[in-house]
Amino acid sequence: MMMRLLKVDMLKMKRKGMWFLTILGPVGVIALQMVNYGVRKEYLLEQSNDYWGYYLKNISAFTPLAIVLGIVILTSFMASIENETNAWKQLVALPISKMSVYLSKFTALSIMLFLSSCLLMIFTLGFGLFLDFNQEIPFLEVSQYSFFPFFAALPVLALQLWIATVSKNQGIPITVGVVGVIFAYSAFTLPDWMIWKWPSLMNEWDDPTINVWLGLGVGSLLYIIGMFDFKRRDVK
Amino acid sequence: MLAILQSEWFKLRKSKITLLLFVGPLIGLFIGLTGNSLNVGEQMNQWYAPLFMMNFTYAILFLPLITGVLASVICRYEHQEGGWKQLLALPVTRGKVFLTKYLLLILLVLFIQILYLGAIYAVGTIKGFTDPFPLTIVWKSIIGGWVATMPLVALQLWLSILFKSFAAPFAVNVIFTLPTILVVNSERFGPYYPWAQPFSMMYVGGSTDDVFFIPWDQLLTVVGGGFLVFFLCGYIYFQRKPI
Repeated sequence: MMMRLLKVDMLKMKRKGMWFLTILGPVGVIALQMVNYGVRKEYLLEQSNDYWGYYLKNISAFTPLAIVLGIVILTSFMASIENETNAWKQLVALPISKMSVYLSKFTALSIMLFLSSCLLMIFTLGFGLFLDFNQEIPFLEVSQYSFFPFFAALPVLALQLWIATVSKNQGIPITVGVVGVIFAYSAFTLPDWMIWKWPSLMNEWDDPTINVWLGLGVGSLLYIIGMFDFKRRDVK
Repeated sequence: MLAILQSEWFKLRKSKITLLLFVGPLIGLFIGLTGNSLNVGEQMNQWYAPLFMMNFTYAILFLPLITGVLASVICRYEHQEGGWKQLLALPVTRGKVFLTKYLLLILLVLFIQILYLGAIYAVGTIKGFTDPFPLTIVWKSIIGGWVATMPLVALQLWLSILFKSFAAPFAVNVIFTLPTILVVNSERFGPYYPWAQPFSMMYVGGSTDDVFFIPWDQLLTVVGGGFLVFFLCGYIYFQRKPI
């Protein structure tokens, strides 16, 4: 049943521009670096001897922002698909549990974000090779910088999906998202416990895997809270 | 005209917008109080350090993004259950409706800016600054930021009328706003990018000879030109929009 629900959700997302945004996210992040390196490559190469490392740092300055904003947009889209035509009523009238409805939406969004991360890795490698640094390619770091922010951003996904599905006025989740992105942008000064800091992979201990585990743990927790709240509420 | 403005205000008052308006100054407070103190040198006015920091995040990311949200909020009632039909069945012209919505939006942005001014003052007071408050500079920055968002507001209003969902105009907004972080570093492209103008106009380090922090020709061409293009496109689109 889960598969069929997921298929339905995928079908609903067709031709809404959501897939376009999924691809645009990683393309945009790399495109910004293309402009950055295109305009001032000499200057950027002077900044550090570890060309690949510096290049990854530049990319990872935008990845958290793109992920957080992408989550905000996609979750709000997801909710408006049902909100606009009052389809929640019809959806929950079907012989399926509300929990699986919620799970299917969460899964669909996770798949999209995961795809974004895969694309980010491919584009990172592609443009990195194009820049021709003449240094060994740090595959491990490249995949870390591509996939870790996704896992670390799962709590934000769970939170935004929760707010978006239970708010009738989509202005609320979007405003929360704007605040979130400001937090993500000021990650440097943020305390470690704030979920918006995690996609930046920064923490006190300088170990990005902590952010991944925190993301998975707190993400599941927030997901469960959101799911039960969604189940509890009446569909008007 | 005044009657339409009044009815727009009534519609807004019940839609939790008041909470939205306070997010801006709270963000300002947050940045001002948490950021590491920038060392601006001994001779400089103490107020400059938080001003630089707060204006940076506020003008690059927050202001452009929140104006988009406000624009969507303002069109929300009409998109629901045939609101456009009801509104336009009244003895009002479409042009006036568009103009009123725009006016209300920029008034809201001005209100946010004034609250943000309060946030700047609060940060300084909490930190116990003794230097005189650089009132003219701050005013310039507040009003400048407000003027610079006018074209962005026009575009967002157009998009919000075009799309039913909140997410679509917001996505467009994000696509144009994110590159600003890089664009402001560039002396070549920065002055021509409309989304970078709130930052340039709020940047307190600019020259203080002119009325604003950017030269008049840049203000007129980029901000003024952007405003004309976006406003006219939105205006014409709304005239022809099939309801």
